[in-house]
Amino acid sequence: MELTCKRSLDELQAIVAATDRFFSDRPVAPALRMPVDLSIEELFVNLVKYNQGTDHDISLRLDWVGDAVEVSLTDHDVDPFDPTRPPELDIDAPLATRHPNGMGLYLVSKMVDAIHYEYRNRESKVTFTKRMAQDHA
Amino acid sequence: MLDIRYAEDRRVLLVGRLDAAQAAAAQAFLDTVPPPCVIDAGGLEYISSAGLGVLLRTHKRLVAAGAGIRLINVNLHVYDVFRYSGMDKLFSVTVTPARDG
Repeated sequence: MELTCKRSLDELQAIVAATDRFFSDRPVAPALRMPVDLSIEELFVNLVKYNQGTDHDISLRLDWVGDAVEVSLTDHDVDPFDPTRPPELDIDAPLATRHPNGMGLYLVSKMVDAIHYEYRNRESKVTFTKRMAQDHA
Repeated sequence: MLDIRYAEDRRVLLVGRLDAAQAAAAQAFLDTVPPPCVIDAGGLEYISSAGLGVLLRTHKRLVAAGAGIRLINVNLHVYDVFRYSGMDKLFSVTVTPARDG
């Protein structure tokens, strides 16, 4: 499944609809779907927020690879930024020192099975894999 | 989409998806909620870091006012996000076992 997305958070609704269609032929339990949805959103939002020097669309692709889902997001005409190595988040920190920044990419790093970043000719591509359990819902 | 509103008993009902596109609307609603704040998340299907940020900001504001937020009826797959982020250590999150396995 491939989707071309405008650089807007309003595109999240279309992304969810496209992801629903992708999983419609091979449904999975919500607990397995959640990390995929969350990782797509966090990576997409990161591109929209921080790659502001371009107006190119963002490409989203989902594929089944065996019992895993492979997702890639490609951004064009951007500076390099590797989202696969976010700063460690202290999840035991007290309330006074907790803030929302940095939670998104940290969650991605914890919830996917593998994540890879490529940068070439001003094109940025991040690909993650999440294995779906064999007991499909 | 997200639906956020009061129930008759003044619980806050959170239904749908709390993502980056819905975070501003959720924050605007929760900024008006006085303590104590019980959020019934039984209808919450999805939350991302943007949604966690909304709850964190709301909790901080309400703790300063005397009592933080309390989430009830959280689905197991939504609870995973609270657990990975450590947010379950900051305020009360009560889980309802998922019926969908």
